[in-house]
Amino acid sequence: MQTLNYRFPAQNAASRAVHVGVVASGDLEILLEPPAPDDPPDSVVVRVRTSVNGFDTIWREVLERFFTRTPLAGRWELNDFGATPGVVNLRLRQALQAGAAADGPPS
Amino acid sequence: MTDTPLVAGLTWQELLARRSFIELDALGRATALLDPGSPQVLAGPFDRLESPWLVPQGITPQADDGTVIARGSVDGRPVVIAAIEQGFQGGGTGEVSGAKISQALLLAAADSWAGTPTAAVILFETGGVRLQEANLGLNAVAEICSAVLDLRPLAPVVGVVAGTVGSFGGMSIAAGLCTRIIVTPQARIGLNGPAVIEQEGGIDEFDSSDHALIWAVNGGQQRYATGLADDLVPDDADLLRAALIDAINAGVAEPGRHRSQRLDVLASRLATLDPASPLDPRDLRTLWGGHYEPVASSTSSIKSPAGETADPPVTRGRTWLRALSGVARPEPIIPSVLSATTNTARYLAVVPDPDNRFYRAREGQVGVTEALALAQAVRDLIEADKDALHKRAIVAVVDLPSQAYGRYEEMAGLHQAMAATTDAYHAARIAGHPIVAVVVGTALSGGFLTHGLQANQILALDDPGVEIHAMHKVAAARITRRTVDQLDELAKTIAPLSYRVDDWAKLGFCEGLLTVENADAPTAHDLKMVGAAIVDAVQRARSGPVDLSNRLDSDAAVTTRHASRAVRDLLAQQWDPER
Repeated sequence: MQTLNYRFPAQNAASRAVHVGVVASGDLEILLEPPAPDDPPDSVVVRVRTSVNGFDTIWREVLERFFTRTPLAGRWELNDFGATPGVVNLRLRQALQAGAAADGPPS
Repeated sequence: MTDTPLVAGLTWQELLARRSFIELDALGRATALLDPGSPQVLAGPFDRLESPWLVPQGITPQADDGTVIARGSVDGRPVVIAAIEQGFQGGGTGEVSGAKISQALLLAAADSWAGTPTAAVILFETGGVRLQEANLGLNAVAEICSAVLDLRPLAPVVGVVAGTVGSFGGMSIAAGLCTRIIVTPQARIGLNGPAVIEQEGGIDEFDSSDHALIWAVNGGQQRYATGLADDLVPDDADLLRAALIDAINAGVAEPGRHRSQRLDVLASRLATLDPASPLDPRDLRTLWGGHYEPVASSTSSIKSPAGETADPPVTRGRTWLRALSGVARPEPIIPSVLSATTNTARYLAVVPDPDNRFYRAREGQVGVTEALALAQAVRDLIEADKDALHKRAIVAVVDLPSQAYGRYEEMAGLHQAMAATTDAYHAARIAGHPIVAVVVGTALSGGFLTHGLQANQILALDDPGVEIHAMHKVAAARITRRTVDQLDELAKTIAPLSYRVDDWAKLGFCEGLLTVENADAPTAHDLKMVGAAIVDAVQRARSGPVDLSNRLDSDAAVTTRHASRAVRDLLAQQWDPER
């Protein structure tokens, strides 16, 4: 297992805590929380724990691309069990949609 | 329900329109069963009660440790659901996920006791104990079984096995204790999974690539058709919810009527089985029938040899049973289960029987007949002492290689037989019999769950020949994809993984680690010391709790089981914030 930490600039902050996904084979879970009071309100703070070592560069590229397009500030925790970049993107978008929505279903 | 084919009388339109339950994750399953708007998730992902044992082993944890506790209502009645996420570590029971289930059951029991009957539903999808947390997972299963039995007289405990993982390992004992079991045709229930049986017994014993055979033995339809499950429902969330509503509205079962209390049924069923005359799993449907009732006496019964073989193998179990009880000729309940009764205690041990007709249980494993004999011996003592103020102790002398890994055992429902023993030990404990387990040799896996882990007090000899674990080393290494050397290295820092008894003693449920001069042939000094330790343990059991809470309150537990304690505290606080 490898733990990777990233930080990206952002404008809007997540409005709610969101949990999506499962740490199952080929999948991952994401915990998204609004920035804590002592966190910078304009940063995406990402921690990835992945079961597959050595994919630092790919993680950086996938996350950088995603958060450049959709910079939603908050704490993002990703617990990964070998998800492909496609699945990672899908879960990120799912979390984003629920976390940015003002009146979505409570999670 | 009548016999349900794969799609259970659904038209193809209904089949396409149905809401699949199996395709849902654990939270989705719990939500589908509870009344809309009612689910409240307790100890959820943002509480971050993840396993403390996985990250040090390089395994990604899940924030809720793969078990969802959802409280709500079903048809207006208070219910708590424990849903196991099959995708995470194969649904394996770890310290945290196990504690979540047992503590939720105990909270439901406390509410039920206080006048608000609160049913529990367990969604079993598990391969058994999570081997990365071996001994803590094994103990967690024992605590879950105990909690199911604590709640069951007060409110129904309903098990649902939908698939696709099914229910395997020690958790199937808990399934065998439930008030009612609901299955789908895709479900499987068994004690030992097919791959493990093949690994232990060879491909002739069980070909784990033969899916037709697996479902013929373990499948939901088979379990239903042989009375080991109560409802067979197609994979449809609405139909499963309807079956659950029925089960909860039916309330608690009459005392004595639970499957795990029906030793008469178990005995009559086992009497029809002899692995020497092979039987097709399908034959069991006609032989036993779909109701859990005694088999008609017209069926030819197989008589076990009454006594021991002339020259039984000398094992630690046999040696210590005789020496501690002082009974020169212990009574063989069956040749492989010995009982020695004194004025103060009944001593029980499982020993090898080279002539056992269940050939997978010849080396002292706990198989179907051993589970039944132990249950009978315990129930007999409860009955004999029922009017006594001072209940005699039960001393489980533990020296067993494991449970029996065999195809016949699975066909017969080994999980249900072990549930009968677990139930009996629990009943004795609740009735006030002090239960003391003394581990003098190996105590592995389901064998120990059945004979030992329901005790108030557990003692062990501090000896290299004493080994307590969820699985023997070679198999555990293979299943967790490690070498034996890697496993040994990890065990140095991860206590629940260790095969050393002094590490096991740090986990919080050892009440005494006893150093002896000779564990194979105890000296007079050894007997005096171990005997005195048992007397002390009996005293502590008499003055202590009749539940298993001491395993969380011991000094060692405070250090090692802090995650279990955090689960207990958080769930209690979220359950009732006013308290």
